[in-house]
Amino acid sequence: MSINKDVIVAIFLLLFCGIMINSSFDIEDPGYQGMKASFWPTIVLCLLSVMSLIMLIKSMVSPTDNNLNSENKNSQNIFLKYKNASICFLMFILFLAFLDYLGMLIGGVLFVFGLLTLLGGFEIKKIIKHSIISIITIGIMWSIFTFGLKVILPEGEILRIW
Amino acid sequence: MIDVILQAFASIVLDPVTLGLMFVGTLAGILAGAIPGFTIAMGVILTLPFTFGMTAVQGLATMLGVFVGGFSGGLMSCMLTGIPGTPSSVATTFDGFPLVRSGRPGLALGLGLWSSFFGGMISAVILVALAPQLAFLGLEFGPWDYFSLIIFALTITVSLSGGNITKGLIAGLLGLFAATVGEDEINGVARFTFGFDDFKQGFAFLPVLIGLFAFSQLLTDVEDDKRAKSPLMSQSGTVVKVEHRQAILIILKRWVNLFRSSFIGIFTGILPAAGGSISNILAYDQAKKASPNRSNFGKGEYDGVIAPEAANNATAGGALIMMMALGIPGDIVTAVMLGALMIHNIIPGPTFIQDEPLLAYGVFIAFFVAHFFMVGLQAFSLRIFLLVTKIPMYVLASVILAYCAIGVFALHNIVFDIWVMFFFGVIGYFMKKLGFPLAPMILGVVLGKLAELNLARATGISDDMLLFISRPWSLFFLLMAVISVIFPFYQEAKKETLFAKLYVPVSMIVLSLPLFLMGSPVRMIVAAILVLTGAYFLYKRTSSFKTT
Repeated sequence: MSINKDVIVAIFLLLFCGIMINSSFDIEDPGYQGMKASFWPTIVLCLLSVMSLIMLIKSMVSPTDNNLNSENKNSQNIFLKYKNASICFLMFILFLAFLDYLGMLIGGVLFVFGLLTLLGGFEIKKIIKHSIISIITIGIMWSIFTFGLKVILPEGEILRIW
Repeated sequence: MIDVILQAFASIVLDPVTLGLMFVGTLAGILAGAIPGFTIAMGVILTLPFTFGMTAVQGLATMLGVFVGGFSGGLMSCMLTGIPGTPSSVATTFDGFPLVRSGRPGLALGLGLWSSFFGGMISAVILVALAPQLAFLGLEFGPWDYFSLIIFALTITVSLSGGNITKGLIAGLLGLFAATVGEDEINGVARFTFGFDDFKQGFAFLPVLIGLFAFSQLLTDVEDDKRAKSPLMSQSGTVVKVEHRQAILIILKRWVNLFRSSFIGIFTGILPAAGGSISNILAYDQAKKASPNRSNFGKGEYDGVIAPEAANNATAGGALIMMMALGIPGDIVTAVMLGALMIHNIIPGPTFIQDEPLLAYGVFIAFFVAHFFMVGLQAFSLRIFLLVTKIPMYVLASVILAYCAIGVFALHNIVFDIWVMFFFGVIGYFMKKLGFPLAPMILGVVLGKLAELNLARATGISDDMLLFISRPWSLFFLLMAVISVIFPFYQEAKKETLFAKLYVPVSMIVLSLPLFLMGSPVRMIVAAILVLTGAYFLYKRTSSFKTT
């Protein structure tokens, strides 16, 4: 028996199913004839629980090479492996968090510029290139959606104040 | 009928706006297909936000342009650089690249381009002929049959998406579950909202799709620091003059290969989830087996270019047949198109062609027209492709991530949708890392509501759950679902085992049962053929098993 990624994922899935099945009991029954609103999700969750259990048993029985211990030893490699993805996650969360304040135009330009610079490097030449790319691309996209497709993109409090 | 076809023709060919959109769509598709790391599905998904402001015909025509262009775009990169732009052009590399290296790049590109064109045209004809007939067949379906068909579509997606079947099923079930969040369509009751008002409307299809597919793919593309910073292709190739006339003559001389490969493509496309990535390899394999010049394959054989390219474009027509006739997506691209139709409040199904003839025939005509654009744009797009390949992946990824956010916001004008996209992007990224296929989850999200609706209709009509196995079509699809779940085990089993020997004949005999129950003479004959063939294989295989 070994503890590997799949074991952890299966346990997580089982917990998830448990929570969701529990909350499916709270689904209101309006008393109409026919299928209850909780019927279909309960079937799906029960099947998901069974499959997660199978995954748990299979992953515990069969030895796999993605053992957690070996990964812990290479934690630095893991950090490097997920560095760029983590930067994208972080930048996107910041972009969303400040969207109401900065708006889509300014927020978008800052997001693209920030991401380009964090992923591409901080040399002066690159920074200039990144700022040009971010202004032009977001400017074009913003114009297409605002003027071409008539979508009212978030203006942002910062522009409203001005 | 002629009136409708003429009107549909006019709405595509005589409308400069639609033609302009198709022009841009095809060009974008060729580029998306040509760039390694980008897929045709991603191209179509990213086109979807632009189609909100268009009519349904214009939106679908644009997406068809991307779809058709994408298949031929893949051949540019694989021939000029040896790197397949999309999985659907992998087999083209085997002979296309050697042909280019032998000093015939113009001919290689011409063969690929015109094979794609002819393959697409053959599948377009089959699409026009078969989709309405299949839709008539679909009119026989009750909610029980429809529910079972959706189950089959999900299980075959799981079995064909490769890898671990348990993980595939989990992904599909997670997709079905994601579709249950929010107010249910039958009773209007809120489910799994946990007190958040935003959750009441559920997860919209587009943010989930862009998150799962595009967002997670972009994160994977920038994962490797060194690769993300270097240009998309180290070998960028040069502009070449396509030898159109000679390529056409060579293809027409090898018409058997062209037709065989096109039919392989169409059949693969009709199967839910089996797309161009499978058909191009299948067609290449069959062309190699049938060719008298088998030893030339891998060294620049013309048939080795014609087969995969004809097959992958024909797959598009096959996938459209299922979507148009039954409302079941043949692959992720047609799932997106299904979503696009739903955004315009059009629900595809067996009555789609009858209810929306203008739109349906518009799709048929747009599919034809897109192939002409594809041929016309190839030389022009080759120059743009060579420019695009000089851009590093991190630049493209950063810009497209921002575009995803803007595009998703445009759907309902709410920031919540962008959060949904981000959430599913993270989920998709980690699912890919953990070996879960994403295609079943996407299909689960697309088909979840439809499955529930049909289950509710079925149970509303009758409490008798046995109808799911007593109705012939429902039984047929459920048996197909079981057979498709067992299929990966059959692939893994050694040929000498009893299970491997029994799988095909037993499946044939079992499938004949619902066909017999259907009662019509043609289906009875098909069932009898299935039983006899299955029994013959069973006898042959079990007797050889005994002797060994």
